[in-house]
Amino acid sequence: MTLPTSVAGFTPIPIQYSSSSTHVLYARLHTGSKKGLGDRKQTHLPEGRTLFLVNVPPDATEREVMQFFKSSGTVERVVFEGEGETAEEHAEGDEESDEDEEDAENEQEADEQPHKKRKLAKGAKPAPPPQVVQLPLRVARDLHKTGRSAHVIFLDASSLSRALSQPSKSRPWPRDPEAPTGLAHYMALYTALRPPLDVVKAHADSYMDMYEYDQAKKKRQSKYKKGEAVVDEDGFTLVTRGGAYGQTVGGGVSVASTRFQQTGSASKRTRKNKKEPKEKNSFYAFQIHEKKRKELMDLKKRWEEDKAKVEKLKETRRFRPY
Amino acid sequence: MDSEGGSSGSGEDEGEEEWNGVNGASGEAVGEDEKRTGTKPKKPPTGEELRNIKDATELYRSGSFKLQIDALLPNVRPKYSRYAALDRFLMSLHTFLTSLSPIEADHPLAASRSLLKKGIAVPFPAPAPTEDTNWKVAFQKPDDITVVGSWISKLAVKAQDKRPYRVDLAVEMPSTLFQEKDYLNGRFFHKKAYYLSVIAAALITKKSGLNVDLTFESTMGDSRLTTLVIRSSADGSTNDFSKLPVEVRLIPTLSSSCPIQLSRLSPQRSNLRVTSASSSSIEETSTPLYNSALLAATVPRAHLLRVHALQKSIPAFSDALTLLKVWANQRGYGEGEKLCVRGFEGKGIWWAAVLDLLVNGEERAAGKLSKAASKRKPLGKGLSSYQLFRAALDFFAKHDYSREHIFLKTENGHRFPPHEYDGHEPVFVDHTSSVNLLAGVPLSSLEMLKHDAKLTLESLNDSPLAQDPFTEVFLGDKRDLQARFDVVIRVDLSSAKLPKSSPHTSLDHGSAYNALMATLTSTLRTGLGNRAKAITILHPSSQMRQLSQAQPSNSPIIFIGLVLDTEHALRLVDHGPAADNTESEVARQFRDLWGEKAELRRFKDGSISESVVWEVKNADDRASIPFFIVRYLLQRHCGVPNLDVRSWQAEFDQLLRLPEDITALYGAAGAPTGSKAAMTAFDALVKNIKALDDELPLAVLNVSPISESLRYTSVFSPVALPPSLTSVLPASARYMPAMDIIVEFERSGRWPDDLRAIQKIKLAFFETLGSALMRTVPGLRAGVVLGDGAPASELEDAAALELVTPAGWAFRAHIWHDREAALLDAAIDDKPHLPKHVKKRLQQLGKAGGAGPDARLAMRAKDVYTRRFVHAPRHHRALAALAHRLPAFAGTVRLVKRWLAAHWLLRGHVREEAVELLVAGVFLGAARTPHARESVPGTKERGFAQVVRFLGEWEWERGVSVPLYESEEDKEEAEAARKVEVSADKRGVWVIATEMDPQGRMWTSEGPDAIVARRVRSIAKASWVALQGMESPDFDAKTLFVHPREHYDFLVHLDRGVLPRYHHNVSVDGSIWNKSGKYANARVVADDSAGPLRPGFDPAQLFFDDLQRVYADTFKIFCDPLGGDQYGAVWDPTLKQPRPFRVLGGFSSIPVPKNEKEKSKDKFLVTLNTDAVLTEIERMGTGLVSGITLQV
Repeated sequence: MTLPTSVAGFTPIPIQYSSSSTHVLYARLHTGSKKGLGDRKQTHLPEGRTLFLVNVPPDATEREVMQFFKSSGTVERVVFEGEGETAEEHAEGDEESDEDEEDAENEQEADEQPHKKRKLAKGAKPAPPPQVVQLPLRVARDLHKTGRSAHVIFLDASSLSRALSQPSKSRPWPRDPEAPTGLAHYMALYTALRPPLDVVKAHADSYMDMYEYDQAKKKRQSKYKKGEAVVDEDGFTLVTRGGAYGQTVGGGVSVASTRFQQTGSASKRTRKNKKEPKEKNSFYAFQIHEKKRKELMDLKKRWEEDKAKVEKLKETRRFRPY
Repeated sequence: MDSEGGSSGSGEDEGEEEWNGVNGASGEAVGEDEKRTGTKPKKPPTGEELRNIKDATELYRSGSFKLQIDALLPNVRPKYSRYAALDRFLMSLHTFLTSLSPIEADHPLAASRSLLKKGIAVPFPAPAPTEDTNWKVAFQKPDDITVVGSWISKLAVKAQDKRPYRVDLAVEMPSTLFQEKDYLNGRFFHKKAYYLSVIAAALITKKSGLNVDLTFESTMGDSRLTTLVIRSSADGSTNDFSKLPVEVRLIPTLSSSCPIQLSRLSPQRSNLRVTSASSSSIEETSTPLYNSALLAATVPRAHLLRVHALQKSIPAFSDALTLLKVWANQRGYGEGEKLCVRGFEGKGIWWAAVLDLLVNGEERAAGKLSKAASKRKPLGKGLSSYQLFRAALDFFAKHDYSREHIFLKTENGHRFPPHEYDGHEPVFVDHTSSVNLLAGVPLSSLEMLKHDAKLTLESLNDSPLAQDPFTEVFLGDKRDLQARFDVVIRVDLSSAKLPKSSPHTSLDHGSAYNALMATLTSTLRTGLGNRAKAITILHPSSQMRQLSQAQPSNSPIIFIGLVLDTEHALRLVDHGPAADNTESEVARQFRDLWGEKAELRRFKDGSISESVVWEVKNADDRASIPFFIVRYLLQRHCGVPNLDVRSWQAEFDQLLRLPEDITALYGAAGAPTGSKAAMTAFDALVKNIKALDDELPLAVLNVSPISESLRYTSVFSPVALPPSLTSVLPASARYMPAMDIIVEFERSGRWPDDLRAIQKIKLAFFETLGSALMRTVPGLRAGVVLGDGAPASELEDAAALELVTPAGWAFRAHIWHDREAALLDAAIDDKPHLPKHVKKRLQQLGKAGGAGPDARLAMRAKDVYTRRFVHAPRHHRALAALAHRLPAFAGTVRLVKRWLAAHWLLRGHVREEAVELLVAGVFLGAARTPHARESVPGTKERGFAQVVRFLGEWEWERGVSVPLYESEEDKEEAEAARKVEVSADKRGVWVIATEMDPQGRMWTSEGPDAIVARRVRSIAKASWVALQGMESPDFDAKTLFVHPREHYDFLVHLDRGVLPRYHHNVSVDGSIWNKSGKYANARVVADDSAGPLRPGFDPAQLFFDDLQRVYADTFKIFCDPLGGDQYGAVWDPTLKQPRPFRVLGGFSSIPVPKNEKEKSKDKFLVTLNTDAVLTEIERMGTGLVSGITLQV
């Protein structure tokens, strides 16, 4: 079948799946989002040489996409939808860790006077941050939701136009021989999910080392300690609510929770014994009258409702038992 | 109430009419009021309205119940105004009958021969007159003709299956025809039969001027009770009543002034003198049924008068009786084309007599008062119809007919002394004190009535007011076999005969068939003893027969329905009398009953007694003991060959079993099987884990099972696969289920306060636990599993420890750390101090509701957490307890799961736990009751039928509440109060609430959605219809489990040879592992012997889950999780419509070739690229998928 040259600004790229079926990729130049998420994103997905793809096959791997666009030019990397964020997070994490390191240096200077941090600091100073032993990679192929998008970043900007001006002759989809599919995939997955015990142990231990290192670092970073007042530059003391007796976990001065202040009790149960309503509602004769009248009206109303319901049922011929 | 009672009392004939009138009129008034004022009444109710409303709520169950009764009653009564044609016919019939000319007395045989020429066979009951009879038959016009029975007292109630109303016409035979001794040897009946035949002969002649169809009918197949049934043929004359659903019956009656000595008919008398060839002596066995049948000819008028008197004295009598009859008809205590409970044919007057008893009490025997009667106080006359109806049910439910005889209040005292009735059960003597209204009704049928009454009372009492039991009580047809009886047995009586048939009993019963039935019921009743609460014989009610057929015919096929008493039903040994009095009467009877099965045995407590032991090989056999007993007794006492006795239990059992060649493999390897074995293995594992205390950083507090295999509810009984099986099992039977358990460590402050770190710590714990176990338990294999392959966040509890015990049981352990819940809550909502409305504002302002980046992930994780660690263990404990308490529960769950799985719904759309809860709901009813409920099924087959019926009728929008948990109110309230709405999107529509989960979404949040729920309902309905087919001879239980495939858009066929679970398939094809014989085995050894069995590995399931996830918005996919070799899927129909292209379309699209018209220039339409999707499926399932078929 012939494809239109452009669909809503996208160039459809046909892929020959089999003799009878054709899959369609939609491609477009990647333009940075208008919100201007900042330069970080720009570097992440460079505008000049990034291709935005829609309707990537659900089982596509990075290598397969690379291979598919090989004829247009060398692909640097492929960012699939949903993976972008994690990549970003990684980037963020990296930057943070840079900052962290700086902080850590600062900290070391400030470390002279503090008291009980000594032990931690001693451990941290000589040891570089521990490395987490990663668990073995799961499997080469991940299945994603159908119709997802991806960004393909070429090495060279010129490849873009080549990729977009593809003749609409369909090409087959390349297969990555190292990423099995089907039964073999599930077998591999099964094995990959069951790593040897020593690897698991190494991973868990190293992760916890890393975690403790991070915790220790955070502790050192934080200027405030439990029980000490948090005073900002303008001289304001931070006051927070928390807990039954005003004990917060973090720093700062704290007061008890509202409930505790009002009731003097921390648990929820006691809230139930509410005060009696102030107004007596069967004091005046008219109130009693009204109440009775209302009761009768309610009675009648319910009766009417029942009647209406039964009438409705009658219409459905429900009352013909057989 | 009083005033109305008074008004109807003062009114003349129309007492009950007026009663209706008052209600009806006021109803209309209210209706008009409503019209004027809209739906909401503005005026306070008037005094009269108020009284009506009050009456309705106080005298009836509720206002709406009364209204529904009022709506029901006119629909089951004939509209008398339309029956003018009938009246005209009756008039002319009267004229015709009174003008009949007499016929001279003649020898009965000679007279019958002359009638035979006219095509009428005189229905002489046995013993038929012979050539040497020395009395004569004659005919004279009737003395009196009266319309009697329910028709004339306006009590007629529509019968089941569109049967016509009956108009009973009592034709009084002149006294001159009879002699003093006519009570002997059926002489009266012979004369009666002749009288009826003469009338029939006169009626069919053209001369009569009445164009009618005539048939004989004998109530209960007893030719002594033959009546002449007249139906009008359509000729358009004024007498033509063929359009009306009515038939006229001529009942010859006897006047009270006849010369026959009625005093000779007391129940102890013997009036059949049989001279059998062997002994010339005349047997003097009493003939109670015979006597009763004769006396029945004297009472129709008296009964009519009595009913009339009751109608006048009890305003609600007619309504109550109608309700009672509707209730009885719905349960098969009456006549119908379908199977009816034996014994209630033509017993219309009995229902009225029951109400008579309740109000007017019993006739006391001189001085002594029976116990029950003294307890039972007569009811007031002013009760409402509903109250009377309930009182009647209460009587049915409580009365023990085998002990207490009932004599209605009479005017002149007992006619026959009550002790005369001793030994004839059941006894319910009418107000004339002459007829036993229950003569010939088997005791067991009355026990069924008792059971049904209890059921109805239960649903009236237990169901909360919001739930309306009206439908259940009056509107539903409850005559089905499957959901009503625990065991249904089909018996072909065509080759049955009584080995020790005495001519006398068969004469007393009216026919050999009836005698057989009587023997059958009484034998079964003694034989089953307290195993069964009720034994019911069901067969179609007696049929009309041509005039040329003298004797009634009986259906050779009967059904026996058993309602089991689960406490005793599956007992292995029946104890008889002790050995020391072997020669006593009791011992003789015992041996006579059981024949060669009876043997003297010595028991553990040292006693020696007669006993019968039932040998069983497995649990399935044990469940069939009642059936075995019935089969044995039928063969021994009624001569029914075993082949003619059939039940369906074995067929259902087969569905829960593995194919035989696989079980043979298991057996050869000595693999332990069964839930008990699995639980033992679990206990051993717990012991092993607990023994590790020193080697673990924290002590293990608790290990709790959460797997269905450990609570008896897995479809297949769990099996261990020892290593020796590894090399033997074919590739398509290598599935090794893993049982989930939860390990709880003691609390410790050393757990990190971070969700990701907690999951990693768990890994460390798994590693320690696993290696320690491997050290201490030789042969045990342990491995850490990082997840099940589906993408999971790092916050979620995904990892588990896989343990395979030396015997081959696989477990999957999870660690429960309760701090997770608090941390997850904090991650979901990091500003708990803000009040709700502030949060809402923030959300509206787009400030992201305070949710951190992890909030979504945390919500999912919390869902998993609550389900796995909070609810699953509780659910497991409750269900395991239930399975112990209700023996049929586990089996029912297994069958229902199998059924849902076979229809491709289980697991993918309906969670196992949801099924378990639904079944529990059916078993437990609406409310928790302290006593065992009457309605609890006793076998899995009945449970299954009830669940299927329930699913077919269930309006899931209204949810169902299952009282599963014991009252732990305080705890649970606190729980409920703390509950946070966790899961964000709830696609499921079923609401199954328990005390622990008032929202009722715990197990149904992910499915079934509305589409699937509707599918469940329609499949349930279809299965219910198929279940009814049990009444036909070639019903096969397996047909219920065959899934129709034609509705799917495409089917994905899987390669059976590689599916490790294929041996679970419903219609498994053994050739998969047999045909290629050696080759298959060789391949298996080559492929898999390298690795051990993979616990829990099921690629079909993994692939299914992947497809479901990948194409969630493209199609809906279904499969059988139990070894299914096909997936079926339905495209989302909206995707087939061309639509504008969107980046986040969420489906694989292809541009639509544009129309010539080019209507939408700027819009680019795309549609679903089905071909590409199918190719993708094929590609992703390489090695699994053997083909895809498109169905259009």
